[in-house]
Amino acid sequence: MRRLLNRVHWPLWVVLVLIALALILPLVSPWTYDQIDWEAVRAPAFSGSHIFGTDEIGRDRLARLAAGTQVTLMVAIAAALVSLVVGIAWGATAGWVGGKVDEAMMRFVDALYALPFMFIVILLMVIFGRSILLVFIGIGLVEWLTMARVVRGQVMALKQRPFILAAEAAGTPPRTIILKHVLPNIAGVALAYLMLTVPQVVMVESFLSFLGLGVQEPLTSLGILVKEGADDMDMTPLGLLLPGGLLVIILVCLTIEGERLRDIFS
Amino acid sequence: MSLYEIRDMAIQIDGRQLVEGVNISVEAGKCTAIIGASGSGKSLSCLTPFGLTPGKAVGSIKLDGIDLLKANAHQQMKLRSHLTGFVFQQPLTALTPHLTIGAQLKEAAAQAGPPALSRHDLAQKLERVGLSRADERLDQFPHRLSGGERQRVMIAAAIAHKPKLLIADEPTSALDASLRGEIMTLLDDLREEQRLAMLLVSHDLASVENHADHLIVMEEGRVVESSPTADLIACPKKDYTKRLIAATPRLYEPPPDLPATGHVLIDTKDVNIVFPKPGWRRGKIEAVVDASLTVRKGEALAIVGGSGSGKSTLGRAIAGIGPLTSGVISWRGEHLPERRDRNLAMRALIQPVFQDPVASLDPQWKLRDIISEPLKNLRPDINQQTREEMVLKALYDVKLGEEYLDRKPASLSGGQAQRVAIARAIIAGPELLVLDEATSALDPLVGSSILQLLAELQRSKEISLILITHDIASARRICHRIAVLDEGHIVEIGEMETVIGNPQAVATQKLVAAS
Amino acid sequence: MLALVARRLMTAIPTLLAIILTSFFLMRLAPGGPFDGERPLPPETQAALQTAYGLDKPLWEQAWLYISRLAQGDFGPSLVYRDFTVSELVAQGLPISLTLGGLAIALALLIGVSAGLFAAVRAGKAADKTIMMLATVATALPTFVTGPALALLFGLWLGLLPVSGTGEGWSWLIMPVVALALPVSGAIAKLTRAGLATVLKQDHIRTARARGLPETKILFKHGLRPALVPVASYLGPAAAGLLTGAVVVETVFGLPGLGRYFVQGALNRDYPLVLGVVTLYATLIILFNLFADLIYGWLDPRMRDG
Repeated sequence: MRRLLNRVHWPLWVVLVLIALALILPLVSPWTYDQIDWEAVRAPAFSGSHIFGTDEIGRDRLARLAAGTQVTLMVAIAAALVSLVVGIAWGATAGWVGGKVDEAMMRFVDALYALPFMFIVILLMVIFGRSILLVFIGIGLVEWLTMARVVRGQVMALKQRPFILAAEAAGTPPRTIILKHVLPNIAGVALAYLMLTVPQVVMVESFLSFLGLGVQEPLTSLGILVKEGADDMDMTPLGLLLPGGLLVIILVCLTIEGERLRDIFS
Repeated sequence: MSLYEIRDMAIQIDGRQLVEGVNISVEAGKCTAIIGASGSGKSLSCLTPFGLTPGKAVGSIKLDGIDLLKANAHQQMKLRSHLTGFVFQQPLTALTPHLTIGAQLKEAAAQAGPPALSRHDLAQKLERVGLSRADERLDQFPHRLSGGERQRVMIAAAIAHKPKLLIADEPTSALDASLRGEIMTLLDDLREEQRLAMLLVSHDLASVENHADHLIVMEEGRVVESSPTADLIACPKKDYTKRLIAATPRLYEPPPDLPATGHVLIDTKDVNIVFPKPGWRRGKIEAVVDASLTVRKGEALAIVGGSGSGKSTLGRAIAGIGPLTSGVISWRGEHLPERRDRNLAMRALIQPVFQDPVASLDPQWKLRDIISEPLKNLRPDINQQTREEMVLKALYDVKLGEEYLDRKPASLSGGQAQRVAIARAIIAGPELLVLDEATSALDPLVGSSILQLLAELQRSKEISLILITHDIASARRICHRIAVLDEGHIVEIGEMETVIGNPQAVATQKLVAAS
Repeated sequence: MLALVARRLMTAIPTLLAIILTSFFLMRLAPGGPFDGERPLPPETQAALQTAYGLDKPLWEQAWLYISRLAQGDFGPSLVYRDFTVSELVAQGLPISLTLGGLAIALALLIGVSAGLFAAVRAGKAADKTIMMLATVATALPTFVTGPALALLFGLWLGLLPVSGTGEGWSWLIMPVVALALPVSGAIAKLTRAGLATVLKQDHIRTARARGLPETKILFKHGLRPALVPVASYLGPAAAGLLTGAVVVETVFGLPGLGRYFVQGALNRDYPLVLGVVTLYATLIILFNLFADLIYGWLDPRMRDG
């Protein structure tokens, strides 16, 4: 445990502290994220119990930030895990089976890669309504591609490694080879890319929410808060700068951490 | 007065002293060779004076009378570009991929500042190093040329500006055995023709002893011995040199005493192995064509050939870890099915050992688990305690101790890793080992000790061996018979001494001549 | 090389068809239609409209009709902007989107490659670390945050640049282009830096150094081209990212580009408009990828034989 903690770098600590704050704040705050304080509309920062003030209809900014961070990160982690599972399954299959199957599977990934996939996601959102489940699926659809490519490359390289052939000669069944030799050796890289996928997903979710196609009221997310802030920025700039700044901090920290892990493992 | 003279040189990298007390001298028209294992500081000693490593040299280094270390940066660059030419080990990567051969040769010829050469002159330079269709090649990119052709281009570029000193760092070790002799002869000719002083670096004594006038043996950053070649070979003074000479096999040494052989174990008939071309392209690659061979109990068979000859593919098919398109492999007269259809009893008979020892051990596993892997699967009847005893026994068999049990592969040297790989291969009591270039990634001394270990196993356990290699002289030390593969065909197969004494096929003749 | 281009074009057509058909059926699978207004229209009017726009025919026939018209360059009529054809709407929006995207990628390449080069030359020094940290921050700057933030700073507070619309001259382009280019330039800087770090360690650089060439010549003649290969392969995804980013930027800065038509069209179920925009986007991206392939071949001759 101690060794694990030592390996955590400062950017991840920042994100972990932010998550902790987002979880604890709603428990201690006198305001909920959707509660309207009729006496304080567009209250400035540090007015009464509103540390960051209130928005244009009198909701506490801090409570909304905490709720938005929760939703954004929850969606991000869940969707990143979906992309991890799909990406590993797809990439490992292509890499392990090889030959024409690999060729076909990776051509498919290449084709999707270059597509305006975001637009198909937008279509999905518009057409099938805006449930949070669909946000997962939509984002998962876009984000598994990189994971699949990376995992496939790793598996291809591993498959050529003599220790895999030696295991085959040692009579180790293919299932055990994959579980005991292949997966442990790609775990590090997969973890690094998982870490890099989270900010990507945060970006996509916020993007959809910004366009009004992601998470729906009364739920909120950082993307929605940025959108609300942008609409009202000539009156209260804080409404844009707080969620925008928070979003950028989360994205930067996760990216730095992910890139660090990637450089260690590959 | 030598053209190039190094006196008492020491080299540091980041404050660590890696080389010290090195003296080297090269005279015009002569060749001095530095021999040593990897990490001995031989390349460092040759390249650092010219600023081609991150190291810093001190001492006295005189080229054509000028002290390189006292010269300013501008003079140094001039000495490097005017007086010196370089040939490196990896012809595949030593040329810039996006510039044509012509452009690179032109750049090389212009480095000493004479007027740019005409196309005709450039083509002539390529012809001089033995490239046909020289004019056409000027417009080609490096990836269109084979490894040997690229090394010729490197040589042409290295001497295009008429340097006085040629430094060749392992110029032939990345090439096929049959090409090595040709390239060394070319270097000899050019040296005499242009009165070049040549400094040659190699890990392989055999490949330079017929070409160098003077030999310097290095070990761990120090010069062990330095004498004229004939003296050094005839009466080496230092123990390390003696071991190095003993570890270098030569075809003229007396034939070894090999154990007797028994009945036929494995028999392959008309084995064909065909791969589809990569991608969607049509067509096939015939890696092995109609290969038929036998191996007897206790016998060692060498399968020899250049890179791409199909020798590894054939070996993998026999070991059941590679594809088989058609043909029959039988074991004591019974059919041995291909890869996926082999049952555990069949797997237990044949075990492979690979070239890259570090890559053949799973980096995440402890050595005890690595070595016991075949035992767990192939001998499920054995209980935990016996298994541990057998792991220990196998470690002792390969001359390693029990302190290795809980180590991971990353902490092993190449030789130790290869011993662990052999321990894994023999633990389940196989009757045949398929060794795919099992010694060629190792330093000569280490490689020869592995070869000796194999010879012992061959006797003590009556294991048969298939030794896949490009090195006939090494193979001869433990093999009864030899099969020569060329472009997928077995062009010659027979008793080792007979084949070496009177090679019939052209490929065999080339390989023998190069050894 | 020609063969490569031809092969790419051959795969481009089925890809394009697949995208069009996917979008076509996706839209039709959805509940609701273009004529579901606030007050439901009388059934006869609905039916008449359906017939007029061919929406009563079987789906496959509609798809076939659409594609055969598309082949002749006819995107069909807009169902919502009833006085316009899709072609007319697209002709208005496309130049704006292309200008935005083109300028953004040019700017990103300029900033990214030079920053990456500078950092690689100063490898390990303070300048290198600063540039790489800035590049990481830049890649993590979402357009929908930088867009409004820039508008707030330079538009509302400093009053230097117009906040909305196209207006006179070209000053309206600055903020949208910068917001679009920032994340891409960060990514390109990192790729260039990493590419050079790899290439400068390779054997052919040592060969060039052994010839006594000056360092700048080694860098530009022998090192830069292979180092840019990863940048070239990033251009395709970057183009897709820019088009997505353009949707936001056009919304934030109130620019009448393709992206806005897309969002509006999707919300209003304007099938032909949405399909038209998706088709155009897909074509653009495919063309851009082809262009990236050509650059690839120039950077590394080994690719030309592929």
